[in-house]
Amino acid sequence: MRKLFPADDLARDERFVRQTQEARIADPRRARVAEANAKRLTPDLPNGPDRARALMHGIFVGEVQALEGAGRTCFDFETGGGADDVPFELKLDMARQCWDEARHCEISVKLGDHMGTELGEYTENTTLYEAACNPDPVLRLTGVNRALEGLAIDVFNTMREFGDASGDPVLEFCEDWMLADEVTHVKMGSDWLRRLTDGDKARLDRALEFQRVVDKLFSFNGFRGDDDESPIQLTRRFREMAGFTPEEIDEIAEMSRQSRSEVPA
Amino acid sequence: MAMVTVEPTTFSVVFFDASVICDWARDVADRLGFDGEEVHIVIDETSPLARWHIAGDRPVRLLVDGGAFEDTRRPREMAERRTRDVVGRALLRVLDRRGDGFVDAPPDDELTLAHAVAWDVYVVGRLARRFEHNGQRQRRLYQFRNRHGFSDAADAAFDRIWSADDLDWAALIAISDGARAVVTE
Repeated sequence: MRKLFPADDLARDERFVRQTQEARIADPRRARVAEANAKRLTPDLPNGPDRARALMHGIFVGEVQALEGAGRTCFDFETGGGADDVPFELKLDMARQCWDEARHCEISVKLGDHMGTELGEYTENTTLYEAACNPDPVLRLTGVNRALEGLAIDVFNTMREFGDASGDPVLEFCEDWMLADEVTHVKMGSDWLRRLTDGDKARLDRALEFQRVVDKLFSFNGFRGDDDESPIQLTRRFREMAGFTPEEIDEIAEMSRQSRSEVPA
Repeated sequence: MAMVTVEPTTFSVVFFDASVICDWARDVADRLGFDGEEVHIVIDETSPLARWHIAGDRPVRLLVDGGAFEDTRRPREMAERRTRDVVGRALLRVLDRRGDGFVDAPPDDELTLAHAVAWDVYVVGRLARRFEHNGQRQRRLYQFRNRHGFSDAADAAFDRIWSADDLDWAALIAISDGARAVVTE
């Protein structure tokens, strides 16, 4: 079996259609898309339920890719103490994460049914998986488990609040349970980042820089931030539980504000 | 046959084909009984939103954000199902308003979210039966629950509206208000 599996070759059936990051950026309506999603996602928006459905589908494909990414990390690296190797315990953590992500996929499919969404109803973007293809295990862990799983904390908390506000106990509790797993995944990333870069500041800096790149990519148009109007709210409490420092959270919030200001008029 | 026009006739921001949209819309209009009537559809191709608005009754004039006709799987491409769905919902609402039973219905922009969704359920349920598709029933139920509560009473109200063919405005809002009353009790 080959290592460092390319995103283009991920197995999907005919229900799924992919959109590249380039195509998304090339859409001349990009500013209008940002405008359309500029308000905090709440049930009282006229299109609130449909936006929640679309976001839930995004979560579903994200879970599929997170499963694929964690699975690759179990396989792509040899067990050992070298720079390109990973400890066996890290693989165990990734195996546990695969178990969680597989469960999240099933939950997301059922939530899609609950909300009236068909599998593949919305386009799939594989940027999440692409971040899980970094050949350096520390950068991969940082990009996936701290940046992307950190985003998952924010998204799940937003959806949990949406379920609470709309009086939907199915959505609220499902999101709450998945949120608890995501906090664990981010904590794994924070712990392994610290352990694998112990005494190697240059590698730590590279990993944190990669995390910033991924965080910036997923702060598109200020979509996620801690301003009241951000569609997805940056969740400070859960991020701190997962090993983020207040300064790191401030930095992500600032990045989001900057990203919003960069949207072309 | 309905006389359908689509503006603009060519698109530069999205990859829509006005003549194909015309064909889809004409088929829906004909099947809903708009034979010989003018139906003008004006599309804002710069908008990815999915809003639409009935701006005129005779002739029918629909103002549509491009996103309403867009394929959610292939951004910037048009989608037959969504186009037929929006045109059908708009035209059936026009027909409702032309009848005696809906003369008391407020203008579209003054409808409450609950009443707007209830009316949409009434419209889509009839379209689903007439055109023999599922009308994304579960999606409509989810929207209805968001406006009427996640309760057995709301689900029963949804079923009544979805399966009805002869509601008037008073009956429709009575069902809607009855379901909401359970939540607010």
